[in-house]
Amino acid sequence: MGQILQFGINGLMSGAIYALIAVGIVSVFKATKVVNFAHGYLIMFGAYFYFTFAVLLPGMSWAPAWYVSWEPAWLVEMKEGLPMFSPLGAVLDWLTNLPRVIIGLIGALAANAVVGLIIERVLMRPLMGQSVFAMIMVTVGLISVMSGGAQLIWTADANYVPSLAPNTPIRFTLFDTQIFLFGTDLVNAVIAVLLFGAIVAMVQFTKGGVAIRATAEDQSTAYSMGISVPRVFARAWVLASLTGAIAGAILATRNGVSPSLGLFGFSVLAIVLMGGLDSYVGVFIAALVVGVLEAMTQWKFGGDWAGIVPYVAVLLVILVRPHGLFGQKEVERI
Amino acid sequence: MLSIENIEVTYHHTVQALRGLSLEVPKGRIVTLLGTNGAGKTTTLKAASNLLRLENGEVGEGRIRFKGEDTRHIAPDMLVKKGLFHVREGRRIFAEMTVEDNLIAASYALDGRPGLKADFDKVYDFFPQLRERRKQIAGYLSGGEQQMLAFGRAMIAQPEMILMDEPSLGLAPKVVEEIFETIRRLNAEDGTTMLVVEQNAGVAFSVADYGYIMESGQIVMEGDVPTLRNDPDIQSFYLGVGGEGNVRQSFRDVKHYKRRKRWLS
Repeated sequence: MGQILQFGINGLMSGAIYALIAVGIVSVFKATKVVNFAHGYLIMFGAYFYFTFAVLLPGMSWAPAWYVSWEPAWLVEMKEGLPMFSPLGAVLDWLTNLPRVIIGLIGALAANAVVGLIIERVLMRPLMGQSVFAMIMVTVGLISVMSGGAQLIWTADANYVPSLAPNTPIRFTLFDTQIFLFGTDLVNAVIAVLLFGAIVAMVQFTKGGVAIRATAEDQSTAYSMGISVPRVFARAWVLASLTGAIAGAILATRNGVSPSLGLFGFSVLAIVLMGGLDSYVGVFIAALVVGVLEAMTQWKFGGDWAGIVPYVAVLLVILVRPHGLFGQKEVERI
Repeated sequence: MLSIENIEVTYHHTVQALRGLSLEVPKGRIVTLLGTNGAGKTTTLKAASNLLRLENGEVGEGRIRFKGEDTRHIAPDMLVKKGLFHVREGRRIFAEMTVEDNLIAASYALDGRPGLKADFDKVYDFFPQLRERRKQIAGYLSGGEQQMLAFGRAMIAQPEMILMDEPSLGLAPKVVEEIFETIRRLNAEDGTTMLVVEQNAGVAFSVADYGYIMESGQIVMEGDVPTLRNDPDIQSFYLGVGGEGNVRQSFRDVKHYKRRKRWLS
């Protein structure tokens, strides 16, 4: 019993990250009806931008000292005399990295937004009015371009980046079980869930969200309401790039930066299909389910199986419900 | 206000839909455009609202001017902001969104037009049913209510001119009357110019000042509504009066037929 809780919580936390990745795919699909196969590589670019602004730039000879390592007097003073591996020590270590983390995130967000805009402007917009299939094929082509591009720019070596939050171990008791978590994982999951919630609320309750939903349903009628459809498309791509940048930074802190990060996009695509391509709620639930399933498989059958079992589940769901768990079939008038 | 000068429209570079069509809608008037299926009425409206390009259609020759400005290079959403609103055939409401969100979507037409604010209450006062169903998914409204919603969206956008594509399509006569009453009111109260495309000449003539008849991509006849109403061809083709065999003696018989149908609905 004890273990199941521990693994369940681990699963929920990685599920939240999947959800954050999935939200980019769903947003682009909702607005433009394009399934973005290259979303994983957009995330990889986000990770590399984070790496650039948090590791490469501080490594330059001209980088100011506070950027490389922030050590104000009070911090140094507090650090002195702390025992090894103390929780406070972890927080203080993270504080020294704080400027790098913040500049890294801001840089990743900005640079990735530019990449998303370029993709939309240069590759997608000229295809507007053509069949959606053409655009989907372009995203497939983008996979090679982006993974090759990343290797050219940043080389293919795996690299490590500072984590987004202090890596303090957290221990607590839940239902008489000792639970052990890493602080970073918890903070990452919370960031992911909050971002997800914010985006869903934006789409459901704001005027901008109305424009996205209207465009999703009927592009030419959205036009005839005075909604600038190209602008909605651009916004959807920027939204996907921004969430992709955060997701990329999180994945980079967990697994290191390497071109193989792009592969995450494919497993998340399966999750998105399971939840229903255009349903935020369905995708969120599917992401958590797959996360937990993965953790449970890892626990019972070992890591080799963990990559397979959840996706078999996805296949089964799609067999039974082709629109996904919560995918919207068209509203029929009664 | 809107002038279409001798336009030709082709779809996919091959299918010619309009061949040298011209028409003129003066400010503050209601003009109707009649014709049978496939005559090119909807294409004419799409050409005017620039939605044609989204469907691989293209205006070749001729030009369209709205308030004196050539519309060729104005994006459809900008045209709406300049005051030309197109209520499309088959209503085209956003079926998965609520009634209120449908109206909010139309308020995008007011962006960048200082001094204008979306007046939801005005729409709800015109159509009290919509107020009751404000939070409902629009796809579950009845056909008549959907047409009201489509009209409501036009009102939110506060256009100077509305292009209406077959507002009577698939509606009960009583509802049609209500919709045309709204057209009349909007024209009288707000001075909104209207171009109404119809197959139902009877109702169209009841509100319009001037009419155009089109056939296979061209205007074949035009004139003031009283003149058109008395034209023998129009009477037999569009008003269902006369014709061989079953000759109706007077307009009263037609009226009788209409009244009965209304009673049944």
